[in-house]
Amino acid sequence: MGTFPIVSVLSAAELPSRPLSSTSPWSFRPVQRPSLPSIKRPAWARTPIDVFVLIALERAGLDPSPPAKRRDWLRRLCFDLTGLPPSESEIVAFLEDQAPDAEERWIDRLLARQTYGERMAQHWLDVVRFAESEGFEYDRHLPGAWRYRDYVVESFNRDKSYRDFLHEQIAGDELQPPTEEGRTAAIFHRLGPVRRNAGNPEIALSRNEVLTERTDIVGAAFLGLTVGCARCHDHKLDPISQKDYYRLQAYMAASQEDDVVLAPAEEKLKWEKESSPLQAQLKSLRQRAEEAEGEERIKLRKEIEAVERRLPLLPASMPSIKNDPASRTSIHVLVRGEWERKGEAVSPGPLAALANSQPAWTGEDDRRPRTALARWLLEPGHPLTARVVVNRLWQWHFGKGLVGTPNDFGSHGASPSHPELLDWLADELVRHDWRLKPLQRMILLSASYRQESGVKPTARALALDPENRLLWRFERRRLSAEEIRDSMLAVSGVLHPSVGGPSVMAPVDSDLVALLYKPSQWEPDVKPERLFRRSVYLMAKRNLRLPFMEAFDQPSLLTSCGRRESSTHAPQALELLNGSLSNELARRFSKRLDQESGGHPRRWVERGFFLACGRLPDEEELRMGERFLAEQPGSELALALFNLNEFLYVP
Amino acid sequence: MFPEPRAHVRPTWTRREFVRDALCGFGGLAFSELASRAAAASAPANPLAPKAPHLSAKARSVIFLFMAGGPSHLETFDPKPLLNTLHGQPRPKAFGEAKYQFIKGSAKLLGTRREFRRHGQCGMEVSDLFPHVAHWTDRLALLRSCHGDMVVHSAAQYELFSGRIVPGYPSMGSWLAYGLGSESDSLPAYVVMPDPKGALEAGQPMYGHGFLPAVYQPTMFRPGAKPVLNLSLPEGVTAAQRKRTLDFIRQANLRRMTPEDEDFHARLNAYDLAFKMQTESPSLFDFGCESQETLDLYGVGREPTHDYGRRCLLARKLVEKGVRFVCVVAGGGPGNMQWDAHQDIEENHLRKAAETDRPVAALLADLERRGLLESTLVVWGGEFGRSPEAESGKGRDHHNLGFSMWMAGGGIRGGEIVGATDEIGLHAVRDRVHFRDIHATILHQLGVDSDRLTYPHLGRDERLTFVEGRVIRQIV
Repeated sequence: MGTFPIVSVLSAAELPSRPLSSTSPWSFRPVQRPSLPSIKRPAWARTPIDVFVLIALERAGLDPSPPAKRRDWLRRLCFDLTGLPPSESEIVAFLEDQAPDAEERWIDRLLARQTYGERMAQHWLDVVRFAESEGFEYDRHLPGAWRYRDYVVESFNRDKSYRDFLHEQIAGDELQPPTEEGRTAAIFHRLGPVRRNAGNPEIALSRNEVLTERTDIVGAAFLGLTVGCARCHDHKLDPISQKDYYRLQAYMAASQEDDVVLAPAEEKLKWEKESSPLQAQLKSLRQRAEEAEGEERIKLRKEIEAVERRLPLLPASMPSIKNDPASRTSIHVLVRGEWERKGEAVSPGPLAALANSQPAWTGEDDRRPRTALARWLLEPGHPLTARVVVNRLWQWHFGKGLVGTPNDFGSHGASPSHPELLDWLADELVRHDWRLKPLQRMILLSASYRQESGVKPTARALALDPENRLLWRFERRRLSAEEIRDSMLAVSGVLHPSVGGPSVMAPVDSDLVALLYKPSQWEPDVKPERLFRRSVYLMAKRNLRLPFMEAFDQPSLLTSCGRRESSTHAPQALELLNGSLSNELARRFSKRLDQESGGHPRRWVERGFFLACGRLPDEEELRMGERFLAEQPGSELALALFNLNEFLYVP
Repeated sequence: MFPEPRAHVRPTWTRREFVRDALCGFGGLAFSELASRAAAASAPANPLAPKAPHLSAKARSVIFLFMAGGPSHLETFDPKPLLNTLHGQPRPKAFGEAKYQFIKGSAKLLGTRREFRRHGQCGMEVSDLFPHVAHWTDRLALLRSCHGDMVVHSAAQYELFSGRIVPGYPSMGSWLAYGLGSESDSLPAYVVMPDPKGALEAGQPMYGHGFLPAVYQPTMFRPGAKPVLNLSLPEGVTAAQRKRTLDFIRQANLRRMTPEDEDFHARLNAYDLAFKMQTESPSLFDFGCESQETLDLYGVGREPTHDYGRRCLLARKLVEKGVRFVCVVAGGGPGNMQWDAHQDIEENHLRKAAETDRPVAALLADLERRGLLESTLVVWGGEFGRSPEAESGKGRDHHNLGFSMWMAGGGIRGGEIVGATDEIGLHAVRDRVHFRDIHATILHQLGVDSDRLTYPHLGRDERLTFVEGRVIRQIV
């Protein structure tokens, strides 16, 4: 145990002073690294984080809760870092490991796992509303979009500096020399819903919709600002002006879709050779269809479809972007946000309230405009970038951020519960070269994270802080949709550990597929080694969401999700009781237990509880289980275990 | 803020926190304010428990008869003699501009072959496509000046349901489930019955809960033997077996939870409701207890009305049991299976009207005689109307600048006609009604103030009606 060395008062980072207008929210002020306050019970604190947490509790006259049982801590840690329950042998080994540095070593071990990146990636994929289809009526698939998901998993696993992570996503295609990783990261700009339609397209309107998506997501994901509010007009209390909004959009003005072919040159040539006559044919047919009317048009459309079906399979590709200065959209302030009502023309530039001045725009910036955007976001002393990401990190471990509105650090967002801690973490991130793992390590080692969740709140805690913002205990949470599915796979012993690659289309009820405008888009996998992969590898299709995932609050994939809801309702019970996924896995879990218990009901029940809940059953549970098994099939008991609170919640 | 987002069990971030944070942050927490919230900490364990409306509610439920694909106003509720006079000519410039999805500027105006007659005491003109609905004109409030912002299906459908032209926002059904909860303890609050002939352009997200918690999602009643997902037991499992399993789950969970644990109590409730849904809903789909007269009224058991009649009858049974919002979709699959009459307006609309006219009128009659029409708001319409110009000779293209919808029951004043389009039905020119006005009016009839029904999302307090939407005073 012991205490960490108390660092002496640290000076505030040297930051350029900029005038703050009265409309600027707290988050626009420079990050100030605070000194550590003195606390009454230094022995409680294990890390500097705890000092900030404890001082806030002390000021409110509240006490922290006692530490969680080691078994619970391990379960919490495993779910938080890998999205999976600890295995049987891990539980045993950890409980036996009484060395003083046991916790540290186990944290390091989990941080080094492949499953760590898979878990962390899901958080980020929510933020960028990752999906592999474009939504709207055609819901066209984006072949190769999964490469972005792998990029994110890999970035977390390599503990890539967040600086590079940000830069690559915003301007990866502009890197010199070009890298495949950069172009993969830039798929980021292709992840928004895209409306495509037949007939007379409003090209300028569609372009405006695309640029709006690309701008708003940069705001939500990296700046933690809902810049879109300023699209239509200035708001009295909002520090972001309408002109600011379009300045931000102007960074994207030259960005165009670029479906990068990744296949070897000869394969690409072969494809071009085979497809070019068909492409030419399609071009002329489409042109004719555009001009034709009535029966003629229908006939032409059918012909187009027939030719499309004859096109050879696309060689491996990915949906990246590139700059095309020739087709740059000229960006104007749009009156009421309406694309036809062009006001003043604007050039790229940072938000006025966050910049000392509008930097000169150079020819080099013209060639690589989004590099300039990334540079501004990462400028030393930028008040938002680091704060926003450390807040997300905090939320990924405590369930709620220090700022409760992770995508909104603006005037309408929440204030931080622990402003000094937020700034301290933001500064610490920069000192660690923007790497997340060192901060995570500190968070996970903290006494704050170690607190028990099951303590009954005191009357004072309930009166002063019923939502537990001050962290007088740890907050229990329900597993996410992905964690529930992955846990069922894991305890049944069928989880397939393969990593990366094209996404899995799970079999779904044909009635649901029929609700797709193009049902042929859904071609379900059948092989168990595909179907039993982790949920992060499931196909994210906007117009066909898996009912199981949807019931357990998987976000809509349509807008950025900074934090998931956690609701409780009957369709969840119906999924877990009657759904095909839970029943199939209950049968497999039961089969596993049959084999491993050698026909001893008592051992069956013991192992069942241990695998599902991470603990042995007590005497009464054993009795209940044995009695049940004597009369009912094992698969029903296995299913019951999947329905236990203990299986579905992290302590 | 109404209602408190605490209502769903573990709110991500409540308005209450928001207000407190925005005003003072932690440092400024006023102890008295905090203390007063102690009581609020005990949230109701059922997020779908019925909630009190803001205003006195006239209606309890909504049935939306969604005419997918966009029925023509010119063939149904909006007679335009001048259009017939100008048939075959280009549109006179005086009527202004319109943008269509397919037809070009050179298109010629297309007169209608439908005949209009005045009906009821109000003398509302309705075409011969709807002889049965025409009996109900004195109860209908006809909105002849509807308009939306988009001329393509998917975006227009999103706007019709959610007020936004992009997917990802909650539909009106989800908003109402969130705002008012459910009156039924064994049925979902919000049900959608899609057309078995196939899907629509905007797909599932059109009906969805968007950023609201998943508890407010629609329950889709699908065609086929198992209308509700996961409602029947898995193959090979008997009801008696399952009862034992449920008992085990309940017992094991109860042993490890404290009596004051709200989340876990909410889970117990969810299992109870799931059980009730399983046992009680099969009777819903059993029409055995409906009289032959009722089945005949809806046209159940004969074509072409069987399918839509069946679903309209089901809608009545649902609102009878307290379901808040029911959407009955007419049209699905390829365009011509919807009201999307690009090729031949006559062929398409005669067929679609024949499928729906009797069931719709039957629904009004059946609700009325059961005393449910006053508490049930029935809304009829599509995502847009159709162009005055011809497409492909005898079809009509999409048209969002002026078209008709109607409302009935639910405290709506019947026999009223709101607004008008110009003389060829191109633009809504008087008392224009936007989708958002329709949303505001629906909420109003259910006692919800559209300005106060909000949910925080991405830094904004989102509303169904955005910052617009006026109640159509003429008809409430």
